[in-house]
Parts: sequence; structure tokens; C-alpha cells
Amino acid sequence: MIETRRPGLAHACAAVLRRDLTLAWRLRGDMVLPVLYALIVTSLFPFALGPENALLRRIAGGVVLVTILLAMLLAMDAMFRSDIEDGSLEQLMLAPQPLAVMLGMKILAHWLATALPLIVVAPLLAGMLHLPATVIPVLLAALLLATPLLSLLGGILVALTAGTRRSGMLLALMLLPLCVPVVIFAAGALAAAQEGLPWIAPIAWLGAALVLAVVLAPLACAAALRIALDS
Amino acid sequence: MNTVASAPSLDTPAQRGAPLLEARALAFYRQDEAVFGPLDFSLTASELMLIEGDNGSGKTTLMRILTGLLRPEEGELFWRGERLTWDRCSGEVVFLGHQLGLKAELSARENLAFTIGLHGHRNQSGIEQALTQVGLSGLEDEPVRKLSAGQKKRVALARLLLVPAILWLLDEPYANLDRAGIELVDVLLEAHIAHGGSALVTSHGAVQFHGGEPQRIHLHD
Repeated sequence: MIETRRPGLAHACAAVLRRDLTLAWRLRGDMVLPVLYALIVTSLFPFALGPENALLRRIAGGVVLVTILLAMLLAMDAMFRSDIEDGSLEQLMLAPQPLAVMLGMKILAHWLATALPLIVVAPLLAGMLHLPATVIPVLLAALLLATPLLSLLGGILVALTAGTRRSGMLLALMLLPLCVPVVIFAAGALAAAQEGLPWIAPIAWLGAALVLAVVLAPLACAAALRIALDS
Repeated sequence: MNTVASAPSLDTPAQRGAPLLEARALAFYRQDEAVFGPLDFSLTASELMLIEGDNGSGKTTLMRILTGLLRPEEGELFWRGERLTWDRCSGEVVFLGHQLGLKAELSARENLAFTIGLHGHRNQSGIEQALTQVGLSGLEDEPVRKLSAGQKKRVALARLLLVPAILWLLDEPYANLDRAGIELVDVLLEAHIAHGGSALVTSHGAVQFHGGEPQRIHLHD
């Protein structure tokens, strides 16, 4: 007679989140790298374009957005890699829990560990390029919607390229075209805010896209990873 | 965060009659070359099945198909009389493969806590107790990275003690283990079979099983 206690879904979600965040904290050196990358790239622009305030102010929003996007790409590759290598993913698939939800939790943990530090330093990056302080709340709103969207899109592509070697470069080539609409809407909101125009519409579009991605991306991830391991 | 719900016991009398796992004409090919099969077998509760074969004879491939991670090219698998599909693995199975599924940066205790969080655990079983049983007391809080290959295997074996699975799928459970470790696997298997569980074990023939005559499947090249 095997007496059992099965964990509920919330319990399992908490377990995945707790483990991945603990792992991120143990490997926190890796967490710092994208932040340093973003700081260095942003500081290159005044050197390349000259320290003219008006010019920097005009490009600041776009530069910060693209820099953060590229910095996220650096860490994207690692989203499921260690889990595939050490067999954790197999164990996750065999657990009596919906795989898509568990992967959603992994993506959330990855976003918290990689994108959130970048959002925290975003005002600093914006300040380095003289972005007006009044625009910074819009920048943060755009980033809070755009970065999870990128994590979710990235998650699908990481899952699709999981079986291949040198997936990092392939991932970048596949993800960057998908970033175009995200960048357009986020930059659109920033440009509108800088000119004192209403900026809520592009932000709402980002929000709508994020809702769609939250629902669909984990399902796509689960399907793609099953295919990747079925070989 | 106390959402743990009590599930019904795994071996109710009604389910005891049907075979747990049944394979019908199961076969797998790689580039049109047969890896194994067609195989027919069935496994009931309280039964041990040994899968024997040389390196490269398809033992691990068969194991991965039985977990549901890999699709068989031909044939069908049934779990308690219901078809086991590729995207619906049974929650009543625990799998121990070549990759142990342990996080090197986490301690044995943290790794097992994660397992319990996903799979649940048997009543009256605790992480401390399981780790003591596999001979790792005192090493609970060491990062798994610092353990030896055999000790890592023992952490994975502790998972078998905790997870409420009726079927154990063990792929080469003896690899990397010392003499005491090999005996430990045998003892765990005997206790599991004696309590109504079943197990499929791949091996080169090192199993010393005293709880009855196991079924054997031999895979050829």
C-alpha cells in the first residue's frame, strides 16, 4: 500500500520558482553580466556620436530599449540549457503537473533574474543619455511590458533550438526579427511621451501582445521541448 | 502554501488485476535500422522486469519510450489498460536515467525538496530519513557539485524513496556505485516489490534479487 500526497498546482509552481531563483542567486555572477553589458554599450554612444545633449536626448529612448533587448539576448540561451544537460527537464516532463505551466514558471524565474535587474538600471542608462526625467516612467512601463514579451518569445525559440549545437547565434538571428514590433511599439510610446503626446495606445498594444504571449508561449514551449527531447 | 491534497491510494483492488504496463509489438527504428523490437510484454504489480542487452542494444531507448519521453515507431503502450501517449506520461512513474536530474549548485536536501514539490511524497517519508537510508547522512547540505559520482547516484536513489510512484524505471542503476551501493539498490528494489510496486531495470546482469524470479527481456543487436 503506497500512501501518497500529491502536490497541487500552486505548490508545484512555487517549487519551480523557488528552485530557479535559488539557482540564479547561487550563480549571481552570471546575473551581473547583462547589466554590465548594457552599461558599457550605453556609455559607448556618447563616445561615438559626441556629447551633444540634444542629439543624445533624441536617441536616448531607442538606445536604452535596444541595449536592454540585446543584453537580454545574452542570457536567453541559458533559459533551458542546464535543465536539458543535467536531465532536470526529463524529470519535469515526467512530473504529474502540466508542463506548459511549469515552463511558464521557469520563464518567469528567468525574467526575474535577467530582465528585472536591467529594468532597475534602466533609469541610470536613460540618465546617461539625458533622457528627460518626465519620460522615465513611460520607459519603465514600456520595459515592464516589452521585456516579459521578449522572454516569452525567446522561450519558444530557445525550446525550438534546444536540440541544436551553437544555438546562441541561431537564437539571436531568429529572435531579433520577432523583436521588431515590440521595439516599434515601445519606442513609439517613448517618442510620443517625449513630444508630450498621448502615449497610452502603444503601451496598450504591448500589454495586449503580452497577454496573448502569456497564454500561448508556454504551450508552444512545451510542444517544442517535447519534440526536442524526442530524438 | 499548504495546497497538498491527499490522493487515493495507488493500488486499489479493482486496479490490481489489470497489468500496470503492457507493450504490444513495440518497435523502434533509427534511420530505418531496427534498434529493438517488436517486443511484447506486460508487467503487473509486485513484479520486477530486467532488460538485458549489450551496449548499444537499445536498453536506454526502450526505457525512454516507456517513460513516454520518446515516441515508439511502431506498437502501443498501455498503462492500466489505457493507451499511454507521448504527451501524457503517467504521474505514477519515477525514472532514474543516466542524467540524474540533479542541480549541481543545490544541496541534496534542496534537490529532493524540489522533487517533492513536483511529485508529492509518500506519507511517513521525509528527506532526512531518505538521505540517511541511502547513506548520505551528514552530506545533506553539501552542494551536489562536491559529491562524488556514486554519492550523486545515491541522491537520485533517495528520490525513489520519496516519490509516490508505483512503477520504477531504472536505467543502469548500478553504474558508479560501490559494493554497498549495489546492495542498497537491491534492498530498495526488494522493499518496493514487497510493497506492491513494480520495477523495470536495465542491467548487464548484476542484479541480486531475492524476492522471486524476475521477468527478463533480452535485447539483441
